[in-house]
Amino acid sequence: MTEPIVRIAGLSKQYREGVLAVDDLSFEVERGQVCGLLGPNGAGKTTCLRMLLGLIKPTRGETYLFGEKVAPGAESLRRVGALIETAAFVPHLSGMKNLELWWKAGGARLADADFDEALAIADLGDAVKRKVKTYSQGMRQRLGLARVLLGRPEVLVLDEPTNGLDPGEMREVRLLLHRLAEAGATVLFSSHVLAEVEQICSHAVVMDRGHFVAAGSVATLIGDAGSVYLEVDDLVRAREILEALPTVKRVDSEPPGLAASITGGSRAELVAALVHAGIGVETVTARRRLEEAFLGLVEADR
Amino acid sequence: MATIARPEADRSVRGHPSTLAVVTTEFYKSGRRLRTYVAYGIVALIPIILTVVLKTNPPGPPGGRDNGPRFALAYLGTHSGLLIPAFALRATSEFLLVIVVALFGGDAIAGEASSGNLRYLLMRPIARGRLFVAKFVVAVLYGWIAVAIVVLVGAVVGGAVFGFKGLDLPFGFFGGVQSASHIVGHLAIATAYVAWFLTTIVAFSFMVGTMTDSTGGAILAGIGLWITWTILDAIDSLGQVRYFFPPHWSGAWAEMFTSNHVSDDMIRGSLLTLGYVILFGGIAAWWFRRKDILS
Repeated sequence: MTEPIVRIAGLSKQYREGVLAVDDLSFEVERGQVCGLLGPNGAGKTTCLRMLLGLIKPTRGETYLFGEKVAPGAESLRRVGALIETAAFVPHLSGMKNLELWWKAGGARLADADFDEALAIADLGDAVKRKVKTYSQGMRQRLGLARVLLGRPEVLVLDEPTNGLDPGEMREVRLLLHRLAEAGATVLFSSHVLAEVEQICSHAVVMDRGHFVAAGSVATLIGDAGSVYLEVDDLVRAREILEALPTVKRVDSEPPGLAASITGGSRAELVAALVHAGIGVETVTARRRLEEAFLGLVEADR
Repeated sequence: MATIARPEADRSVRGHPSTLAVVTTEFYKSGRRLRTYVAYGIVALIPIILTVVLKTNPPGPPGGRDNGPRFALAYLGTHSGLLIPAFALRATSEFLLVIVVALFGGDAIAGEASSGNLRYLLMRPIARGRLFVAKFVVAVLYGWIAVAIVVLVGAVVGGAVFGFKGLDLPFGFFGGVQSASHIVGHLAIATAYVAWFLTTIVAFSFMVGTMTDSTGGAILAGIGLWITWTILDAIDSLGQVRYFFPPHWSGAWAEMFTSNHVSDDMIRGSLLTLGYVILFGGIAAWWFRRKDILS
């Protein structure tokens, strides 16, 4: 059996104020997985990732990268690219100089950094020569992603990586993570945007109030029921009709279609109602959304 | 969108960075800050202003109420431009330079923490102790450079206005006879002494900076400590307790120029500084190694 790339073993963190941020958390991430760390705000996701990177000392338990126990400044961190919360830089230096200094501070050769590839992904153009203090939040986050990719790390640890990005940039990040996973990288990223996790991740770990709730492949966690995705020829009227149905809890826009969360009833009932109103239905896809699965898991745990 | 290459594990296996490499990086970062240039600009301005003032309104010989070392140095400076840096050092070392070195000490760690950059520095395979040493060395070096700027600018401007020459005053007068090389030697010792005793403030601000994410708080803590020590040192009834306050020894170097000898007080002041630097540096190192990086 191969060693997991990331291993969290009995991890707990209690701050001096008495807050138990993480409570006996254990999970593993195998090579090549894109694993989402899910949880509501305050679930302990960021604290967990910071302990994984040696930034916070656990009260109990250990974290392992590539089979080696993580300590502050551990050598295994060289094989990790990380973005924790917002990307931060030295504001009075250019984006490029920030990347160079950060890379050199780790004792690595500039030739090994692959700046061109990372900068192409960040897509900052000539702005990379400007001082970071002139950047928008989105530009900083993209530069942060470029820093994550320097040296082609084997593991990416990303905490809310799409924070501060516009919808187009968020989509770019999702595609990027897909491609990184296809290229063999292992990704562990936290998010409370469940649709994002559903689209990106092969696996997910659910945590709530600091402790483990569930883990597994996203398909396993989602299960067999919950929502319907529809593509129709009149989105506005379709939404009105669906929202009027008693079995529909909520209707979300998911261009080019709509996603209807249902409780009880059947998908055929929804389609019949739309057709009866003269709306052309082009696509119907049954699915249980991760959000529902997540809420169900968390509620069952409480 | 660019293509993504497969991660290459073999390229990533390298040793830890040398402390010198980290020092170089940190030195570069601080050197590119506008704040650094502004601080250095202000300390460079003081000797120029003092020279202009002494030229336009030369002081008389020390005596009466104006008989302290500062007035003596001002008077001597008008007879040898090489003593202008000593006068400038005396004028700046007990307040302006304290602020400047507190700035470098307080900003070193707290500045990185407040910008959120500290976590990115520590996500690298850099031992905390190594980063700590690099940050401290750079803060101290920038503080020492500020002291050197006062002396060098004072020497250049003072020499240009009052002459690069020795002192030749009537026997028994303050300063007496001192050759130019003698004065330069004393200046070097004075510069080193002032830089060294100000390291106490660098160390204290740095220590506070490891405990807070507030740069301003760390800087003000250093300045506040100095002011507190200065006030306490002025209370004669504290007796020998005052020997533990660095301001008590801060002006000990001035005797070299007025009495032409190295005072034992300089040795006492240097040793006291060493004690404080070890104390504050030790606490800072202990704290930083255990600190949870939450910013």
